[in-house]
Amino acid sequence: MGVFYIFAFIYPDYFSMDKLLIKSATLIFPGADEDGQQVDMLIVAGKIAALGPIGSLKTDDDVIVIQAEGSVLAPGFFDLNANFGEPGLESKEDIVSGAAAAAAGGFTAVAVHPNTHPPIHSQTEVSLIVNRSNNLLVDVYPIGAISQNREGKDLAELYDMKLAGAIAFSDGNRSIQQSGLMSRALLYSKGFGGLVFAFSEDASVAGKAKMNEGRMSTYLGMKGNPNLAEELMVARDLYLAAYNEAPIHFSTISTAGSVDLIRSAKAKGLQVTCDVAAHHLLLTDEALIDFDSNYKVKPPLRSEVDRLALVEAVRDGSVDAIVSQHTPHEIEFKEVEFETAAFGITGLQTVLPILLMAGLSNREIVQALAIAPRKIVGLPIPVCQLDENANLVLYNPDEQWTFDRESNRSKAENNPFFKKELRGKVQLVINNGQVYYG
Amino acid sequence: MPTETHQLSTPHLLGIKDLNEQDIQLIFETADTFKDVLNRPIKKVPSLRDLTIANIFFENSTRTRLSFELAEKRLSADVVNFAASSSSVSKGETLVDTVNNILAMKVDMVVMRHPYAGAGIFLSKHVKAQIVNAGDGAHEHPTQALLDAFSIRERYGDVAGKRIAIIGDILHSRVALSNILCLQKLGAEVRVCGPATLIPKHIASLGVKTESNLIKALEWCDVANMLRIQLERQDINYFPSLREYAMLYGLNKSILDALPKQITIMHPGPINRGVEITSDVADSQHSIILNQVENGVAIRMAVLYLLAGKR
Repeated sequence: MGVFYIFAFIYPDYFSMDKLLIKSATLIFPGADEDGQQVDMLIVAGKIAALGPIGSLKTDDDVIVIQAEGSVLAPGFFDLNANFGEPGLESKEDIVSGAAAAAAGGFTAVAVHPNTHPPIHSQTEVSLIVNRSNNLLVDVYPIGAISQNREGKDLAELYDMKLAGAIAFSDGNRSIQQSGLMSRALLYSKGFGGLVFAFSEDASVAGKAKMNEGRMSTYLGMKGNPNLAEELMVARDLYLAAYNEAPIHFSTISTAGSVDLIRSAKAKGLQVTCDVAAHHLLLTDEALIDFDSNYKVKPPLRSEVDRLALVEAVRDGSVDAIVSQHTPHEIEFKEVEFETAAFGITGLQTVLPILLMAGLSNREIVQALAIAPRKIVGLPIPVCQLDENANLVLYNPDEQWTFDRESNRSKAENNPFFKKELRGKVQLVINNGQVYYG
Repeated sequence: MPTETHQLSTPHLLGIKDLNEQDIQLIFETADTFKDVLNRPIKKVPSLRDLTIANIFFENSTRTRLSFELAEKRLSADVVNFAASSSSVSKGETLVDTVNNILAMKVDMVVMRHPYAGAGIFLSKHVKAQIVNAGDGAHEHPTQALLDAFSIRERYGDVAGKRIAIIGDILHSRVALSNILCLQKLGAEVRVCGPATLIPKHIASLGVKTESNLIKALEWCDVANMLRIQLERQDINYFPSLREYAMLYGLNKSILDALPKQITIMHPGPINRGVEITSDVADSQHSIILNQVENGVAIRMAVLYLLAGKR
């Protein structure tokens, strides 16, 4: 045991585990018998070995005890939208650093978008990601590009990518402008059970705007990207999905109008799901008052009306999932004039604090971060039963921590909450027989 | 010289947003003094003898740069000029590096024009120098707004209660935004007029009404500030042709003469004669366009002088 502790001291983040006893955690695990109860859980060799009321499990000498009073024990989070830079943009992030940031944020799985160079647009790049992410705590699932080179012209080899491990298709942060191409993508991928993620922005309406159109863009003398640019595309793609009788998922919707469109499409029985980026649930374009490029994201931060509509939609299930939209950049891409700065912020480690700040309950968070994402892409939801593989996150929603160079696991620091004190700390993440200690 | 009893509330002039009404009045009073100086046989004062000012222009400018340079020289500052065309910006150097390189040569103050909104604010956070914004994208052009308001004050004795119509390309205009903010702080009422495609959709959030009809705007106002159509900033077509623009929003002598009262015509220059205003309007006694240019030097002297007092 002595050697084991020294190892754990040198490598505090990861070490293969022996026995772990989580004491007095509040279990939020939809479907579990003990859901909502305070429990003790014993994990041995990556499996749930025992589960019972507080104090029901005995403590052996060789067990690592985690005091978890006030903490939430839930299925590991699943992020439907992260960017890890591989292949080609490893100076922003690579799969190992990205997965470490994911684990530190409470995620046991992420889906990486094809905003890479080259894009994840063939079996080769899909396989690269699958192979590179072997043996990690965090499962990394590639999302393949819809079109070759993400050019929005010709379909990429969608079926081949699915065979290699792509869980869905998206052109990443490029919205498909050609209605015909989008229609064919939906119809073609339906044939083999593929799912298309739509990113909605009409380029001719959005123009070269770098922020939301509203009071703030007027005050700052910047052109605005109107809600209309997103809503036109959401409406178009709902038409296309209905016409082709194909399922569709909308990535990072940001406006009240998009919520309305998707809500009524669901009511009509369309197979439609959507997600929202965590920062859109907390921040508005008012944050841009000082031209801080760490608030420059795509879609842009919108108005308070939009923000409130999105929070409400998460609560009533109209928005299914919440994503980090983790978009790491070197400082050279961010510490420049707002106009030329790159879009995006890192998000994996700040999703949980952001959602708590936005006022979501632990149950709402678990539903939108752990359950819904897996349902959307048809992956199994972790099970809380004896002898099942432990796929878990333990977090304390009240514990303070500082997001800084020491706690940051990403290669990038482009996050408006960097160097700030945050509430909601991940204590433990378990998956694939590995443990991350926060 | 103005007394030192008052100081500006800001170490930089990044926008009218930085100024309160007292600041603006202080700048005006200081500019009054400097305007007297400019009309003396010896137009120079030693106030900024120990100061080196860099005029860094990342965008073409003739009159603003010349006006600043004259203001600096009239105050006896040492002046260096840097234009983007002759710069290392095209070699991929960042704005902060470019400016820090210039500052390493012991420059105290930077007057910067830049094509992007917020560039001055960004720079002020990353370099150790006082920054004067000489225009950043379609955001602010504070010294232009100050000289415009100063010229209105000169014409009417006061800005408060006056009605000013800003006519033309509001969407691409830093002059419009700074003018709106400055005139409102001084108690004037502002309306904008122009093609709807060149007016920000949310302009009313600034407390500004929109008038789409030129004649109605002119009938309403005391002062018409005719903006230049900035074709170089328009990435797409916002109106079909200059000819059609002139048909709808061009100001000519017959329109002016038909108005029920005499109004004052302003223009920040350079004028597209025959587009936003005809020559006979630009050269008429209604026009204070050349007074604006003259006042520009006095206003810029006042700004530089007062900012130097904040060092």
